[in-house]
Amino acid sequence: MQLITILIVAFLGAGIVYLIGKISGKARDILAVLASLIVVILVSLAYNQKIYTSFYPLPFLNLSLTLRIDPLSWFFAIAVAGIGFLSILFSLEYMKHYQKLDFYYSMMLFVNAGMLGVVLSADFLSLYIFWEIMSWSTYLLISYKGGKAVGAGLKYIVMSTVGSIAMLFAIVSLYTSYGTLEFSSLASLLQTASSGYILFLLIMFIIGFGIKNAIWPLHTWLPDAHAEAVSPFSAVLSGILVRIGIYGFVLVMYSIVGLNLLHKLGYGLLNFNYILCWIGAISIIIGTFIALLQDDDKRLLAWHAIGQGGYMILGISFGTTLGIAGGIFHTLNHCIYIALLFLVTGAVEYRTGGVRDLNQLGGLIKKMPVTFIGGLIGISGLIGIPLTNGFVSKWLIYKTLIMEKHPFLAFVALIGTWGTILSVYKFLHNIFLGQLPEKYKDVKEVPWAMRLPMIILTSVIILFGILPGIPLNVISGIERSFGIKPLSTIIFGMPREIGELNIINILAAIVVAGVFIYLIFSLSTRSRRVNQYDNYAAGSFIPKDKYQYSVRFYDPVYRIIGPYLRDVVDDFYYWLVEKSKSFFQGVRQIYTGNVNTYALYILLFLAFLIITKIGWGLW
Amino acid sequence: MVNPSLLIAVPLAFAFSIPLFGLVSKKIGKYIPVVALLINVGISFILIPQILKKPAVVSIGGWSPPFCINLVVGPLGVFLVTLISSIGLLVAIYAISYIKEEPTEKYHMLFLLLITGATGIVLTGDIFNLFVFFEILCISSYALVAYNKDKEGTEAAMKYLIQGSVGSSFVLIGIALLYGMFGTLNMADIASRVTSADPTFLFISLAFLITGFGIEAAVFPLNAWLPDAHSSAPSSISAILSGIAIKTGVYGVARMIYTIFNADGILTFIAFLGLLTLLIGEMSAFRQNDIKRLLAYSSIGQIGLIVFALGIATSLGVFAGLFQIVSHALAKALLFLAAGYMIYRVGSKSIDSLSGLGRKMPLTSFAFTIGSFSLIGLPPFAGFISKFSIVYAAIQVKKPIFLVFVVIALIATVIEAGYFFKVVQNLYFKEGKNVDNVTETSGYIIVPMIILVISIIVIGIHPQFITGLLKGAAGELLGRTGYIGWVLGGS
Amino acid sequence: MSGIYNWMYYIASGGLILIGLYIVLVKTNLIKIVIGLNFIDTGINILLICIGYVRGRTAPIFSRPGISPANVVDPVPQALVLTAIVIGVAVLALALSIVIKVYQHNKTLNVTKIKGLKW
Repeated sequence: MQLITILIVAFLGAGIVYLIGKISGKARDILAVLASLIVVILVSLAYNQKIYTSFYPLPFLNLSLTLRIDPLSWFFAIAVAGIGFLSILFSLEYMKHYQKLDFYYSMMLFVNAGMLGVVLSADFLSLYIFWEIMSWSTYLLISYKGGKAVGAGLKYIVMSTVGSIAMLFAIVSLYTSYGTLEFSSLASLLQTASSGYILFLLIMFIIGFGIKNAIWPLHTWLPDAHAEAVSPFSAVLSGILVRIGIYGFVLVMYSIVGLNLLHKLGYGLLNFNYILCWIGAISIIIGTFIALLQDDDKRLLAWHAIGQGGYMILGISFGTTLGIAGGIFHTLNHCIYIALLFLVTGAVEYRTGGVRDLNQLGGLIKKMPVTFIGGLIGISGLIGIPLTNGFVSKWLIYKTLIMEKHPFLAFVALIGTWGTILSVYKFLHNIFLGQLPEKYKDVKEVPWAMRLPMIILTSVIILFGILPGIPLNVISGIERSFGIKPLSTIIFGMPREIGELNIINILAAIVVAGVFIYLIFSLSTRSRRVNQYDNYAAGSFIPKDKYQYSVRFYDPVYRIIGPYLRDVVDDFYYWLVEKSKSFFQGVRQIYTGNVNTYALYILLFLAFLIITKIGWGLW
Repeated sequence: MVNPSLLIAVPLAFAFSIPLFGLVSKKIGKYIPVVALLINVGISFILIPQILKKPAVVSIGGWSPPFCINLVVGPLGVFLVTLISSIGLLVAIYAISYIKEEPTEKYHMLFLLLITGATGIVLTGDIFNLFVFFEILCISSYALVAYNKDKEGTEAAMKYLIQGSVGSSFVLIGIALLYGMFGTLNMADIASRVTSADPTFLFISLAFLITGFGIEAAVFPLNAWLPDAHSSAPSSISAILSGIAIKTGVYGVARMIYTIFNADGILTFIAFLGLLTLLIGEMSAFRQNDIKRLLAYSSIGQIGLIVFALGIATSLGVFAGLFQIVSHALAKALLFLAAGYMIYRVGSKSIDSLSGLGRKMPLTSFAFTIGSFSLIGLPPFAGFISKFSIVYAAIQVKKPIFLVFVVIALIATVIEAGYFFKVVQNLYFKEGKNVDNVTETSGYIIVPMIILVISIIVIGIHPQFITGLLKGAAGELLGRTGYIGWVLGGS
Repeated sequence: MSGIYNWMYYIASGGLILIGLYIVLVKTNLIKIVIGLNFIDTGINILLICIGYVRGRTAPIFSRPGISPANVVDPVPQALVLTAIVIGVAVLALALSIVIKVYQHNKTLNVTKIKGLKW
């Protein structure tokens, strides 16, 4: 009942917000925030419960739709609800200048409700239904801004449909083979299945979930969609919606198929896990290095969303205690910092009039300090600097790779991190540091409704960075529910016997080092404070409003790696679409417009039927 | 019990009363179809529970079957009649203010005749009577396609007429051959004796009948008339043609194959044909710029899906096919009605000119969106349930060939999603050029659209409203001995 | 010889149908196509009649004296043909009127040139 209440509140909230919006904009805003807040509260109340309800029978298919809550679904549900709430809060100010706000808010709530449905479903049919609801409402929201967003939305929904049909195929085949779609019954029934069938299922589900999760080579919708969506929705999209794919992976691989079966798939190097982790590794490299080339801040983050997705895949593909914990934890962390970063870009857009081009921004640190802190902490989390949450999860993933004896993959992951550092530094630098363009002289910090979500997310990053035991405790609950040896945790990390991570030690080390550095700096010659415009320019005069020295940041790097980093997959898809278009064009030539030809078709059809019968004895 | 023959008599009588009323007042004419179809909807809803308990056989002229023309009202018949009269009623309401071209009373008369034909086709138990009703349907639809008397309409009607006449001729040849073999025209009687005939002759007559009904059903390659006719007719007629008329063709094919000939061997071919139709339809629709032509090609695709599902020939498959008939009839009628009024307001059929209508005509655009989402098969709309059932049924037969078919059908869905999502985006997220003066529809136009939207959502969320009826109808198609039993005897 | 005599009507009807189909397939003039459709119709009517025909028997009109069920042909096809003729006339009339409209719009009756609607 509790779960149904959550969903009813979520879906009804979306509807009511739309209707109220027709009457009063203010009431709509308040109601939208309230609805998402209530969902957060309801979901958090469900903590540590195990509920299973069947809420809707479909007798003609012998099925009934069911919901459940267990550690895995609670974990994702709270992330969905939380990010949803914060981005709606952020929207209050951010969206003020947009039109069609009734539609926007109700769709935001609708997407959230869809995602909640996905993670709370206890059978594949409900999962598929909510999945599709989530997909089409996402499509409507991506296209919301018009212009280029229309193309992005179309690309998204077409790819998403491909994923859905793959998933549908797997689901229906499961149902015909086993007569049920409930996760728990399937989990036991599948243990007797042949490994070929399991492989087929996994591939289908990987296409389905992988398109949402944007793993290479199914990632091409993501950069466009993330960049073109409005920023609060980009936060939702990148933070959690994309990661519902990871939920799907974990669900299918560990909750349903299970480790025993997974390990039986394939021989030697052609092992299922091995291939999956290589896909993850490729996603990391492609994602982070293409991110390096981007000049659009949201596109840059979008490519990181692909790259970081690779880390998650890398983590969960091994199926060890540490790996799964790392993968899931990284999902949560990613969801927090990428949401924060998208909100930061949103805040910058809000104050600069929608500028996303990194070549035109700069020096906003003094003007927007809270946003800057958000950006700084966000990229620290993204890189995985100690004391931020990303550190712990990346540590877990690296540890897994080393313990599973994949030094090369670990090296790939490390290269990925270098790329990440370079590109997010560009992000931070080109927006906040360096020289302030003349036109942004009067920029102010964003209003409180936008600051608050950023502050909350920033503190969560720090909180989970220092006390990773809190989320890891939930994650070890998830692992226990899979029947895997759970990760044992302490509040500051992990105890010695499984790998020893204690943030307290790191904290101490960092504090000591910080004090040391501070001392060195304060004892050495004092630096001179200069005006933000007082740049060194080899003695020549710089016109303040023309000169922008961060333009084409990393230009030499571009020239070296640029040619290798074309998104060939995207090119291939476009080629495919073009080819099919001309093929379709050819197909419709059969409708010639000449009625003689049409009559000929009819006669030929009749002749075909009769000849095949009399001549060949078919039918 | 209500006499089911009223279902045919009422629209027929009202149809010919329209010119008479026209003598009194020109205005009455347009309300008469609504009245007639309201009566029909009432009767069919009263009949549903009774028919589900016990099918009715109505003999005309006091003779008992097989010696008379009789109506066989089984679950399938009552299901299709309910669908026909409901969609017909909604379209009739729409037409009250949509049809402005004179002489409107002729339009309404022909419209009612079309409904009469469709109703007769699905109810009759006599194969020649089937042909007669089929011709009533066809002739009135030829005339209605040309109703606007413009260049496109007349051209489309001309092409439709030529192909349609060839088709009806083939049907008649098939009937003649059947009569030559069995000396009877009663479908149940033929069905009961079908094993006694020479299989080759039998097949030739089946081939003629499939081809003939296939033309009305718009199965590839017999469907070249459809895009022309559907796109050039007045939109209310497109809705009726797409929602009802082609379904009667499908009914004809299904009735011949399942009940009369029991031709199991050809079913896989029929499924393949459906698949081919689906693919060709969706591919051709993808490149359209004309919204009505796009919808017309999409109808071809959907018919292909229906035929595919019927070709699966398990009880679930037929059930899914019938469900798809319902969801397609609702969605496509809605789409044509919505598109029709958008075209009327904007003055152009090109998709680009519909840009930005989401703000100007919110309800109509919303209706269009719901319709297209349902056709694509997105939950929670009716189309999802039917597509899911079709996929389920096709995989359930556990034949490798059907697995391949399903994959191809699903790929066609992607193409379909591609163009429908594009149109929806056009409505909402693109800047309109010449839409400043466009206003929302009102009154009689919006009512049927709202009803259709509600029924799509309600059936999508609670399919149990119609599953009982559909199961019965599927049972009728598959259980031919039962059908023969109702008509010929036992009781 | 008697074989052909037995099958004569069938051959005639088949021939008419085939001529009609040939016209519909090959001729480009709309009027001719409509005539072709009528050929098909006529052929089918003859087919129906000869299905019910029994040699040496007479028309089933019972008001005439000396007619008993034993010496009349099957009456059902004749009823069918009457209906089919009526339908055929209706289609023919409609077809011709549409052809007139088509001609007014296109100024030609050549179907290869009336291709406003294609693809």
